[in-house]
Amino acid sequence: MIEHGPLLERLLEGEFICTVTDEHSFHKLQNNELVDDLNHFLRPLNRRVAKNDDGSVYFLAYCDLTQNARMHLGQQFTSTVQSLLPMLEWMQLVQEALGRDGALSAGDTIKLQDFESKVVDNQSLIQRLAHLANDKVFKSSSDKPDMQIKQVFKRIKELGYLHQPHKDRLFYTVTGKVEQLIELVRFIKDEEGLLIDDEAPEQEAMF
Amino acid sequence: MSQALKQKSLVQSNPLFELGKERLELIGKHADALMQGYLQGQISELAFSQQTLQKLLDSRVLFYPDEQSLSLRPIVNELIASLTQDERKRQINSDVGEHLDQIHTRVQSLQGARQKGDYVASEHHMQLLTERVQDMTGQFGDAIESIWHRLNTEFGFVSSLDDKILEIELAQRQLRRILDGFGIINFDDLIQLAGSDGALRKLLVSQLQARISEHSGSLLEVQKRLVLLMARFRQQQGRALLINRMSAFLRQHPNFQIGDYPNRSQVPAVVNQARGINAQAFIALDRSQDSDALAELARAVPRQLEQNSQSETQTEGFTLAVQNLVATEQKQLAKDVEDFFIQVIESPQALSGVDYLAKKELPWEPEMWLFQIVAEHQGLPQQNKQCFILEKDSAQQSRFNQLHIIKDVTVSVRFADDYQATG
Repeated sequence: MIEHGPLLERLLEGEFICTVTDEHSFHKLQNNELVDDLNHFLRPLNRRVAKNDDGSVYFLAYCDLTQNARMHLGQQFTSTVQSLLPMLEWMQLVQEALGRDGALSAGDTIKLQDFESKVVDNQSLIQRLAHLANDKVFKSSSDKPDMQIKQVFKRIKELGYLHQPHKDRLFYTVTGKVEQLIELVRFIKDEEGLLIDDEAPEQEAMF
Repeated sequence: MSQALKQKSLVQSNPLFELGKERLELIGKHADALMQGYLQGQISELAFSQQTLQKLLDSRVLFYPDEQSLSLRPIVNELIASLTQDERKRQINSDVGEHLDQIHTRVQSLQGARQKGDYVASEHHMQLLTERVQDMTGQFGDAIESIWHRLNTEFGFVSSLDDKILEIELAQRQLRRILDGFGIINFDDLIQLAGSDGALRKLLVSQLQARISEHSGSLLEVQKRLVLLMARFRQQQGRALLINRMSAFLRQHPNFQIGDYPNRSQVPAVVNQARGINAQAFIALDRSQDSDALAELARAVPRQLEQNSQSETQTEGFTLAVQNLVATEQKQLAKDVEDFFIQVIESPQALSGVDYLAKKELPWEPEMWLFQIVAEHQGLPQQNKQCFILEKDSAQQSRFNQLHIIKDVTVSVRFADDYQATG
């Protein structure tokens, strides 16, 4: 158990472990026996190791949904929902600016310089970036696209959706936490019975 | 060796040889212009001289699909596409029925020639038959290779995901047609056709069967990959669509209230993410075995730096404190001087500053005290100033300069009569 101390600590601190953030630990967590051991240890703390639907990311969840746990989940859910639209818009912006085929997913890499050069080439992307950067989730006060980009990416990194392998290089990798976010979106769509599958305006898809 | 030579001269004597060679060379000679035509879809007549243009038209390399435009013949297009593995234009031709018909005819001609004992003719028919069979299997091979190549580049020749999905659907239809083609080949028929002829049997049955089963194997592999790729593209598409539509929905419904999932009796797993716990630890001296390690740590503390930073903060506090102290002292001094002036007003005779200082046991330096009295007097409004007589008891310090040191000041109130006397 001793050797898993650092991993346990990272999980306890609220980190999401995926192949991008820590491949070694991720593979360790695929071992069910180890997860059982960790869960045994975590039990008094009312925590357990959880993973998302496709098993691409591990994190800690509550065992018992006590009053405190629910209170915290409520706060967290509210802030996630508040950052939902800006996050989705950011994903769309990156996908379009970089001319990617599909939506961003874990493991995708983004070079800030590439992204910036694509955005400043296109007036509508500049406007969308400015709109996004002004959102209270990102809180950029600058009117320069390069500063806005830096601030937006910095915030998203703080939120855990991006990993920066080298501290001094502006080069990011999308983490598995994004998968969790997409799962949440899918869940909300299904659960709220949002009829956005068919009646969604077509121009949005083109937009 | 001599036979090979003979065959070679035989081939060269064929009139087709010269013509074919000439036409291939013609293509090579105008490769630049032809490739441009291939990529642009049409060719400008101005690229060639009148004579060359006529030659290319006669050689069936170029043609006029309509009056205005000049372009490559489809077969040339296909040749280039196949040579360059250009999957945008490469065509898959899996028309098996035609091949089988020709094979049937060819076998009949062959058997006819054999019955007549025409060795040369039967040899010729055998060659054509072999080519025909090879064409057919080669066509399958080409088609499969083409699909495979497109799969492995993940349909990189089209940019959008939607186009990729369409391409996969196309590839699936092509695959189905190839499989249908396999179905048409009836080996019982072919066995009957070959009869007891060993060479024919080998060509039409055993070799063909081996090739077809080989192709079936690769087709199966292609099919697996197609399904996988399709699933992946569909997933990507679904994801992009989900993101687009959810963000559109949220933009259109800014006040949309999402359910209070954390407080439902069944909290969904996707919402259940525990709060981070920060486990902190501090220096503890209650275990003797740790004392060495802690002492080590304590020694390793960069002392100089620590002191510096500490003294810095201290100095900062200190100067601030001193400033505060000075300010309060200054106030006290001014107040004491004020009291002194009040005393002067109340007293009938002049008062000496130094005496007052000693009598009241005030803590000020005499010099500072006298200075303050003079300053206070100077600072009075003109009218009030005239109410006081301030005499400086000073002495010249040295004969060589004009420095006077004030030893004492005596202050008295100027009464009305004095005032008049001087006034």
